[in-house]
Amino acid sequence: MVTIPRKSFAISKAFNGLLVLYALLFYIVLYGPLVTIAVLSINDSSIIGFPMRGVTLRWYRKVFDTPEFVDALFNSFAVGVLAAVIASALALLLALGFRRVFPFKSVLFNLVLMPIVMPGIVGGIVLLLFFGYLNIQPALFTTVLIAHVNWVLPFAFLTLYPRVHNFDVALEEAAMDLGAKPLEVFWYVVLPIVRSALIATILFSFSLSFDEFIRTLFVTGYDRTIPVMFWSMIVDQLAPELPAMAVVIVLVSATMSFIGALISRRAATRNQ
Amino acid sequence: MSTAATDLGPSDSIAVKKAGGIGRSARWTLFALLAPGTAWLLVFIAVPLGFTLAMSVWKSTILGTVPAFQFGNYIEALTTPLYRDLLFKTVRIGVVTTVLSLLTSYPIAYCLAMQSGQRKAVLLLLLFLPFWTSYVVRTFVWLPILGRTGAVNQFLMTLGIIHEPLPWLLYNEGAIYLGLVYVYTLFMTLPIYLAIEKIDPRLIEAAADLGAKPRWVFLRIILPLSWPGVLSGSLMVFLLAVSAYVTPQLLGGPSGIMFSNMIADQFLSNNNWAFGAALSIVLSAVVLLILIVAGRWVGVHQVFAGGRT
Repeated sequence: MVTIPRKSFAISKAFNGLLVLYALLFYIVLYGPLVTIAVLSINDSSIIGFPMRGVTLRWYRKVFDTPEFVDALFNSFAVGVLAAVIASALALLLALGFRRVFPFKSVLFNLVLMPIVMPGIVGGIVLLLFFGYLNIQPALFTTVLIAHVNWVLPFAFLTLYPRVHNFDVALEEAAMDLGAKPLEVFWYVVLPIVRSALIATILFSFSLSFDEFIRTLFVTGYDRTIPVMFWSMIVDQLAPELPAMAVVIVLVSATMSFIGALISRRAATRNQ
Repeated sequence: MSTAATDLGPSDSIAVKKAGGIGRSARWTLFALLAPGTAWLLVFIAVPLGFTLAMSVWKSTILGTVPAFQFGNYIEALTTPLYRDLLFKTVRIGVVTTVLSLLTSYPIAYCLAMQSGQRKAVLLLLLFLPFWTSYVVRTFVWLPILGRTGAVNQFLMTLGIIHEPLPWLLYNEGAIYLGLVYVYTLFMTLPIYLAIEKIDPRLIEAAADLGAKPRWVFLRIILPLSWPGVLSGSLMVFLLAVSAYVTPQLLGGPSGIMFSNMIADQFLSNNNWAFGAALSIVLSAVVLLILIVAGRWVGVHQVFAGGRT
């Protein structure tokens, strides 16, 4: 393929200058708040805000000394891992099935997409009503986990489907013809091909689950996840350690997503 | 809920051929592949949603929510000025947020598409990075920026431009727009960027060679060809904005609530589950309506895959 320099998109010199200036402003606005919160997290003042009254790390110590935070971090990790694995497994099976033609395929496809399309709060409310009516008490590994799998499943499907779609049903049929049992086909033929895409999907799903808030809020029992705990702290009162807590949360989820993106990118280039 | 475009890509026609002679064992395999996911979706999505639909015609009394078949909840939701106006306001905020988001995102998407090599990779990564973290946190960060002791007020006071903190920076509709546009920018920027990126540069060169002025190249070639990206991004941002809960609650102040906050109130304070169910269905219906209308121009599947693959 001939690559023509993208510069041909340039409209005029003056316009280009404006565009670069705008881009600079855009990135400043994008990162300004995050930088500000990082600066405030080391401000030695018991009111969140300026002016700076000295530099301290005590808010970080306070964050890790807060049992609610440590518990929530553990809860979020546990739910995140479980939700990511369950959703990715269900999504992989669905994606493999979607290579075939079957009745009501488009109905099922719309059902898969439903949790993304549904307003966030409705996603939580329908489960609250459902479990409430069945008298199932909200708890971490029942209602919260289910809400998270619901939310993550469509994204896992949408990331896996294009990858799985590329590889030929004939490969499996060949293995079957040679006498492999379905589980053997899955283990020795399918899994090695989709492995890196699957790992990337699991990591990506984890970060979606880790950040989930609105669907979780209404089905949370005693054990809270990180965003729900953070939310109740903001709503309750603006405790001075909140900026430090925000920085820790940002670092954890950005790191997970970054690793996921790296693996996903490598998987994509290998597939080509 | 969604019935709009379900185009699964051109490769389906190939799949048809492959599935031509599907045998009995293959059918069992297909069943085994689809059953777990389908069962999950039916039990935890379809049934709860159906249940919510049923409860929306029930009645909540002081003794609890009792089965009934009446449309009082919907009549109340759609005729009482309080709820009806809030629905209009929510849709208005959704529209304004979408327009603002489009205006701020288009130039940056255009700028990104113009770049190449290492610089482009870095700029794209920098665009993604903030969106890899909780929107609760990304909404919260505006409090210490716009608040009384916030960065903006303190900065202006240090410069001597103002002597008292400006109270109107926070807790109004403007703050909601700022928060929503900030939190959801990527969903607008990414599809537009991908659409511009796909345009063949030779088209632009050809137009320029034939004497088209740059302005016309933009208006007649780049803008129309990036239209699918604009539609996808706008649809996504609109859907997210009308469902907003966190942003109005944190930045909107007492009068800045939106429809989702009203839904939450039915469960958190009013304890009126049947009415809350009806309000949930109303908001979902608005979203569904928009999807069906938009689905005529843009494949809904593309909208949701766009930002995620």
